[in-house]
Amino acid sequence: MTEAHDSVSPPAHLLEVENLVKEFPVKGGGLFRRTAGVVQAVSDISFHLDPGETLGLVGESGCGKSTTGRAVLQLHKPTSGSVRYNGRELTTLTQKELRPIRRDLQIVFQDPYASLNPKMPVNDIVGEPMRVHGVRGPQVPERVADLLKRVGLAPEHGNRYPHEFSGGQRQRVGIARALALEPKVIVLDEPVSALDVSVQAGVVNLLEELQAQLGLAYLFIAHDLSVVRHISDRVAVMYLGRIVEIGTRADVYEQPSHPYTQALLSSAPIADPEKERARERIVLEGDVPSPIDPPSGCRFRTRCWKAQDICATETPELVDRGTGHPVACHFAEVRAVV
Amino acid sequence: MSTEILSVSDLTVGFPTDDGLVTAVRGVTYTLKEREVLAIVGESGSGKSVSAMALMGLLPKTARISGSIRYRDEEVLEMSPKRARAMRGQNIAMIFQDPMTSMNPVYSVGDQLAEAYRSHHRVERKVALGKAVEMLDRVGIPQAKDRARSYPHEFSGGMRQRAMIAMAIINSPDIIIADEPTTALDVTVQAQILETLIEVKDSVNAAVILITHDLGVVAGMAHRVLVMYAGRGVERAEVSDIYSRPRMPYTAGLLGSIPALDSAGGRLHPIGGAPPSLINLPPGCPFSPRCPLVSDRCQTEEPQLLATDIPNHEVACHHWEQVASAPDPTLLFRTEEVQA
Repeated sequence: MTEAHDSVSPPAHLLEVENLVKEFPVKGGGLFRRTAGVVQAVSDISFHLDPGETLGLVGESGCGKSTTGRAVLQLHKPTSGSVRYNGRELTTLTQKELRPIRRDLQIVFQDPYASLNPKMPVNDIVGEPMRVHGVRGPQVPERVADLLKRVGLAPEHGNRYPHEFSGGQRQRVGIARALALEPKVIVLDEPVSALDVSVQAGVVNLLEELQAQLGLAYLFIAHDLSVVRHISDRVAVMYLGRIVEIGTRADVYEQPSHPYTQALLSSAPIADPEKERARERIVLEGDVPSPIDPPSGCRFRTRCWKAQDICATETPELVDRGTGHPVACHFAEVRAVV
Repeated sequence: MSTEILSVSDLTVGFPTDDGLVTAVRGVTYTLKEREVLAIVGESGSGKSVSAMALMGLLPKTARISGSIRYRDEEVLEMSPKRARAMRGQNIAMIFQDPMTSMNPVYSVGDQLAEAYRSHHRVERKVALGKAVEMLDRVGIPQAKDRARSYPHEFSGGMRQRAMIAMAIINSPDIIIADEPTTALDVTVQAQILETLIEVKDSVNAAVILITHDLGVVAGMAHRVLVMYAGRGVERAEVSDIYSRPRMPYTAGLLGSIPALDSAGGRLHPIGGAPPSLINLPPGCPFSPRCPLVSDRCQTEEPQLLATDIPNHEVACHHWEQVASAPDPTLLFRTEEVQA
C-alpha cells in the first residue's frame, strides 16, 4: 500500500496546520433563513504533528477542539488557513483528490454506541474501509482477523453485532476500523470519555502500544486533563476557538503560564484526599462567552483576574514570553498548580 | 458529627424484566451521620443510584424493594404516602445529574423554587418567591431577582445546577442526595458547583450523600466512602483509608486505572474484563472473574462486608489480607507490557 504523493517540498512535519479558521453560519428564524451571525468555532490556530507523537488538545465544551480535529481531516471544510499533510495542501483538494490521502488520516469517535452501524457484524465494520478503498480478495478477512487480535478482541467475535459488545470492546472495534488502512495519523476525539475508568485504562494502554508498534501520530482530543497528561508528548490548551498555550507535557502541566491553563488545571480534581484538600484552587467567575460574539482582544479577559486595558484592545500572540513555551497572554507568568 | 440520621440496612431492589428479575441492589447497608458527606462510588450499573432512588420514592411501581431504610426514628419503606411526601423535599432533597431534564421547562426558575417551598410551607406565593430569590442569591446566581423570572433554558449548565441546589436547600433539609451533580459539567464549572454545594450544605447543616464515579471529586469532598460493585457494597471506609490503604482488589484496581494529574506517571494497570450483567451474575464473588487474587472459594461463596485490620474499614473479600500485605495493591493488576 504505497502512494505516489507528488510532494511539493520536503515537509518539516508530518502534519502542519497554519492559521486554521472554521466558522459556521447561524441562520435566522425567518422565512428566508438569512445568515444572522457566525459562530467562530476555530479562530486562527496553528500547530504541527510528527510521526509517532501525541499532541493532546484540551479545553472545555465549545472551545473548538473537536471542530479542529474534523477541520484537519477535511470533514469540515476549513473557512480559511492551511492544513498540509506530508507537505501537500489538503484544503484546496477536491473530494476525489482527497480520497487516497484519507487512508493515512483516520478518526476514532467518542461514542462507541453511535459510531458503529448496529446492522453490520464487526467483521464488516472493520473491513469496510478496505472495501471502500478497493482492497478486495482473500487477504481482507485475514487482515480483519489480525486487526481484531491487535486490539485485544478474539477474531471469532467478528461475526457478532455491536450490541453484543461492552463499551470498551466497541471502542476497540472503532480503533480496529481506524487501523484498517494503515494510517499515519489518527484523530482520537474523546476516545475514552464514554467508558468507565476500569475499562478506560485498558483502551489507553492499547492506544500507547499501537503507537509504539506502528509509529502512529495521534491528535488526542479530550477534556480529561489526567488522561491527556498521561498519553500526550505535547499539549495544546484551547479556549473559545484559540490555542492559549502549547508546549511539551512538562511545560504545560508543570509550568502553566496562561491564567486559563492555571485555572483549568487547578479545577481538575486529584484522586488523593491529602493533596486534593491541601491544594489552592483558582475558581473562575461566570461562564464561557458565546462564540458568536467573542470578547475583543484576549477572549479570556472577561473571566481573567489579570485583565488590563491592553487585553481588550490587543489580541495576545501565541509566542514564548520568557516561560520557555508559547503562551497567548500579555501577562504570562509561570504558576505551578498541580 | 454525631447522631445517625439515616440507616439503610440490607436494602434489596429488583426490577422484573422480559429477561428475568434484575436485582440492581443486592443487600446494601450504610449509615449517614449529621452533617457528614458520604460518597457512594461505583461504575455504571453498580446500583449506586438505585438505593438513593428508593429513599426518594422515585423507583417505578414494579420495583421490588426489601430491607430497611430508617430516617431518624421512622421506617421510610413503611411510611404513609402523606408522611413520605412530607419527608421528601422537606427533610431529604435530591440534586440530579442533568438539571435540564429535572426542571420544568415551562415554568420560570423562581416559580419552581417557590412551588418547592409552598409544598411544605403555608405561605403566600409572594413570600415564597422572596424565599426563592434569597436562595438563588445564596447559591451565587447574580441579579437573583431578575434571574428568578428566567426559564431553565435561559440558564447555562452551571447556573441550572446552582438553581437545582437552591431548590434542594429551600426547605433546609437534613440530607441532600447529590446524584452525579457535576458529571455533565466542565471542570472549571464543576469546581464552582462543588464549592457552592459545600457552602450551602454547611449553611443549612445538612448531610450529603454524594453518588459519583469520579474518585477525584470524592477525594475532595467526602468524609466516608462506600464502594459498590454489582449491586453490593464491597468496601466501606474513611476517605483517606480508601485511597491509601484499600483492602478490596476492585478498589485497588480502580485506583490503578486512573492516570495521575500531578505526575506523568507510568503504565496504567486496568482491571481486565467488564462489570458483570446483573441478570447473569457469576456464582460467589461478583468480582471474581476479573480479580487477580481469585481462588476456588471466591467462585462459590460470596464474601460479606466484614471488619478488617483498620477501624471502621469493612471489606467484602476473602483475600483482603493479601491486599493488605501488598506493598502497592494497584500492582496486583499489572499485565504484560506489550501483548503482541
